[in-house]
Amino acid sequence: MHISTRESITTEPRALGLATKPRSPAGDVARRFVRNRLALAGLFIVVLLAIMAIAAPVIAPKDPAASTLADARARPSREYLLGADELGRDILSRIIYGSRVALLVAVLAVGAATLVGGGIGLIAGFAGGWIDEVLMRLMDILLAFPYLLLAIAIVSALGSGVEKTTIAVAIWAVPNFARVVRGQVLTLKERDYVLAARALGARTPRLLLVHITPNIIAPIIVFASLYMANAILLEAALSFLGLGVQPPQASWGLMVASGRDFLRVDPHVTTFPGIAIMITVLGFNLLGDGLRDAMDPRLRNRF
Amino acid sequence: MEDRTTIPAGGELSRRRLLQMLGGGVLALSALGLLAACGDDDDDDDADDTGGDAGGGTQDATPTPAADDDDDDDATDEPDDADDDADDDAQPGGTLVIGRPSDAVALDPHDETTSPGNWVMSNIYETLVVLTQDSEFVPGLAESWEQIDDSTWEFKLREGVTFHDGTPLTAEAVKFSIDRIKDPDNPGRSASNLAPITEVVAVDDLTVHVITDGPYGPLLNIMSLIYATGIVSPAAVEEFGADFGRNPVGTGPFRFVEWRSNDVITIERNDDYWGEKALLDQAHYRVIPEESARMLALETGEIDMVMFPAPSQLEIFRQNDDFEIAEVEGVRVFFFGFNVERPIVSDVRVRRAINHAVNRQEIVDSLLEGAGTVPTSYISPAVFGFKDISDSWAYDLDLANSLLEEAGWVDEDGDGIREKDGQRLELRHLAPRGRYLKDAEIAEAFQAAMLEIGIQINLEILEWATLFEQVRQPNIDADLFTLGWSTATGDADYSLWPLFGTDFVPPNGWNSHQYSNPEFDDLAARAQASTDPDERLELYGQMQDILAEDAVWVPIYNSKEIIIHADYVDGFRIHPIDYYLWLHTVSVDKD
Amino acid sequence: MRRYVIRRLIGIIPVMLGVIFVTMLTIELIPGDPVAMMLGENARPEQEAALREHLGLDQPLPVRYVKYVADVATGDLGRSIQTNRPVLDEIRDVWPNTLVLAVAAMALAIVAGVVVGVISAVRPYGVIDSIARVLALIGLSMPIFWLGLVMLYVFAYYFRLFPVGGTGSWKHYVLPAVALATPSIGILSRMTRSSLLDVMGEDFIRTARAKGLRGASIITRHALRNAMIPVMSVVGLQFGQLLGGAVLTETIFSWPGLGRLTVRGVFARDFVLVQGAVLTFAMAFVLINLLIDLSYAYIDPRIHYD
Repeated sequence: MHISTRESITTEPRALGLATKPRSPAGDVARRFVRNRLALAGLFIVVLLAIMAIAAPVIAPKDPAASTLADARARPSREYLLGADELGRDILSRIIYGSRVALLVAVLAVGAATLVGGGIGLIAGFAGGWIDEVLMRLMDILLAFPYLLLAIAIVSALGSGVEKTTIAVAIWAVPNFARVVRGQVLTLKERDYVLAARALGARTPRLLLVHITPNIIAPIIVFASLYMANAILLEAALSFLGLGVQPPQASWGLMVASGRDFLRVDPHVTTFPGIAIMITVLGFNLLGDGLRDAMDPRLRNRF
Repeated sequence: MEDRTTIPAGGELSRRRLLQMLGGGVLALSALGLLAACGDDDDDDDADDTGGDAGGGTQDATPTPAADDDDDDDATDEPDDADDDADDDAQPGGTLVIGRPSDAVALDPHDETTSPGNWVMSNIYETLVVLTQDSEFVPGLAESWEQIDDSTWEFKLREGVTFHDGTPLTAEAVKFSIDRIKDPDNPGRSASNLAPITEVVAVDDLTVHVITDGPYGPLLNIMSLIYATGIVSPAAVEEFGADFGRNPVGTGPFRFVEWRSNDVITIERNDDYWGEKALLDQAHYRVIPEESARMLALETGEIDMVMFPAPSQLEIFRQNDDFEIAEVEGVRVFFFGFNVERPIVSDVRVRRAINHAVNRQEIVDSLLEGAGTVPTSYISPAVFGFKDISDSWAYDLDLANSLLEEAGWVDEDGDGIREKDGQRLELRHLAPRGRYLKDAEIAEAFQAAMLEIGIQINLEILEWATLFEQVRQPNIDADLFTLGWSTATGDADYSLWPLFGTDFVPPNGWNSHQYSNPEFDDLAARAQASTDPDERLELYGQMQDILAEDAVWVPIYNSKEIIIHADYVDGFRIHPIDYYLWLHTVSVDKD
Repeated sequence: MRRYVIRRLIGIIPVMLGVIFVTMLTIELIPGDPVAMMLGENARPEQEAALREHLGLDQPLPVRYVKYVADVATGDLGRSIQTNRPVLDEIRDVWPNTLVLAVAAMALAIVAGVVVGVISAVRPYGVIDSIARVLALIGLSMPIFWLGLVMLYVFAYYFRLFPVGGTGSWKHYVLPAVALATPSIGILSRMTRSSLLDVMGEDFIRTARAKGLRGASIITRHALRNAMIPVMSVVGLQFGQLLGGAVLTETIFSWPGLGRLTVRGVFARDFVLVQGAVLTFAMAFVLINLLIDLSYAYIDPRIHYD
């Protein structure tokens, strides 16, 4: 993925002979984004998620931890808008509060992994040689390591809870990012404009910063959004194994996992949080796609 | 500007080479896989007695049903009517397919104590004495027995019994079986069950003396415990060595056929059985980890019988005439134990208050949906020594509150949690998830219930191995811990003394409660040594009264063994001790 | 190139050594004792001590590490603490299942994913593209155990088309392979689309069009090859991870694979088994990634290794 042989976006349309007015790059991006309806939908979902997370105490109709055993697995009704879970807790309220865990894990874990993993991949791909070898072998070791064991290790060493789950998820994402970014960098490294810049005497940091990094941001964004999705799903698996949030905290993953035993008789218990996960993940992905598309003016040219 | 009109088709690696390599790579991996699967039957000693198929313990890459089976995966096949039984009164046998959540560890009493293994072992091996579903001792491999002195029991073996490999059952074999578990250099997993036995003597071919360390009341229970005293063929152990666990040879009504790891174990009728031949031709034990999938498999007929059915679907199956539910109160009690040395819960009033604030009936109804019963003691009614002490934890919120007030815990600052001398009533509770039925859910419900009387429970759901480790530490760093204890021998001695005796505080045993009561210890020792059932009953009764007084536990539910099977499965009787799954009276009649 | 391949192959060894070491160290550090787990309620101190000695678990970590590595070099992966069976046998029993399922799922995912991705990219923002993208996204945003269960209910129970679980016939492969493939289809289709769009925006493509080459030919001969690099990365990662077993899928469909075996080992702290499983997975994974890396060089000749 790259932008062009030139360094900035603004010169591009002129090269194509299209009439232009001077615009800022950011404005271009924003404008393109806004025109993309799916991207807007994605943004909308993510913003909604953020609002839910922040305003949870205000929006949630009931205390997510309040348990009324007699109402176990109640069907949706006026009192329990989305029904109740197996402990008689309001599913809607738990979904609302669960958005906090989802957001925290997805954004923080993946964000951290992007920086760390992306950085490693950047260095490895660009430097090549033994640095590349060593770094990639280290990543291989991490990838080859049974993830569950790693997760248990983290949680036993640091205790359980949502923060530790975040770390566990971040560690999962780092080597994946590193590999993918490295792949991209390998390609870019040989592009003419990079070779040209080098020939002109640009030093490594400048090369990295100015020429290569902007051109890998887009795939990083796409991957990040993918991994945020996976992060939420991974949190589901971990929570279910007792390596995630502690009761009575609500996590969508845990709700889906523990509700699946009732899929036959009371499907709402697992389905509603499952839908919440799906919509959120969809949102992140649409957002990521939209950003990527907005950043690439090449798409303006339809064939 | 670069000009690339075509991409060269080559580069450093031509397409052909790459495809060759990729193909080669995949082939190599597959070959590795296939080779591993099909080859080297000579290396592993997995040949089975019936000299049957190439399956043994390994798995083909393209699995096919074993040669002498009915089609294992299609349970709607016709039963094998053409089978000629030696006993011509028997109904046609058929094949029983059982679904269970996990696989056996090994089929050897030396290495296996878990249920999935015991369900198979209870049909392949036998013990000298059998503990029936009605909690009675009946002769097994021993025709008769007698306690000839304080520490010696004499067992007379049946004549003419042979192992599946044709070798005869002798007193030597019995001695061999028990000795190998007790071997100090390589003890079996149930060695501690056999600790009271000091020596086994083969007096003659058919007479065995079991010598204990002083009088030992529950000896017959030990002699009936399949995973401790199941009798194995010495010749086979000699032959297979460490692989005996995959090639079990016993005396039971069924013999081993095949074991596909984590998939299915097959056993077939032993036509040379000394007693009444089994009716089934074969039994298949399948592994179906996911609860919903197990239930679906039962409904589609892929399996005929399911272990650990989903409580939420019990009602559906009850109302369906095509299925029968076999249930009986089990021998496991699920509880929260107190570490009675911790500051807050060292006060017995707090412990009692907590007990009175748990609505067990509601838990059993809502969370377990009838897959358990309210507990009536620290051991199950099916266990010898049981006494009903449930009054001591009757659900009574007023009593609970008043006990706490009496103990000085009052909610001064109105935040819903009681305080005393500036300290909040906060308790740390460790619980597993998925180890016992609804364990995490019950812990959460308990957490919510405690809020009602002003106690804050800091609940930590731990992964099982981590929790297990904690429970074995001296002075566990928690006020409450969750466990489920199963009285596998059916005798109170197995549970009460090891759980609450002073000698058994970790690391020496399971008294993680740090409970120490000399009176209790004395009663326990006397009860174990006595061989008079009435006396023992009396003593165990007193011990349970003490435990109730001291409220060392919060018992939550008593297990219920539930097995659902199709209505065409006849003759099955469920056993309160969940390790036994006897199939010799079972037949499958799909007509 | 040959030198590179050899170097990479040799480089597997330190990775393996590293993986073994990290695994042993981790298991050492986390709470939980395999001997105690094994004995369960029947554990008594003397018995534990005897068993520990019998299994050689009382040796310090470095000693065990060296011994283990030496054993592995001779092909001895030790005996599983839980079952006392050679780890090699335990793995041999399940790995073919995992391999076949992984290949099936991956093949399905590549074909479906790339095709969908190409269609999407050819007419971006069109109706088909939008539908395809949303479908792909839905596919990869469902928790796989949920998806698997729903598939079971619908296809195995309701329509009785496939068995509920286990192995035995080709029918047993279908549901687990499809379930496993679904998230990958989503990922691959998006990756293909995104990557293809990037490439199609490049100058050389415009030039090709200017020369009069047709759409389809452009895509297959010029654009797709370049677009495949990021896709191959993902394929490599996905396939590699599938080779380690897919515990959730294996659980839902009762598939006796490496994933369940490893998880069982971890929960029982059966580190001998876990080490063996890790080695198997690591070996396969590293080999796959090597192949993928080499494929970069084929696809984009500007990439070279020396």
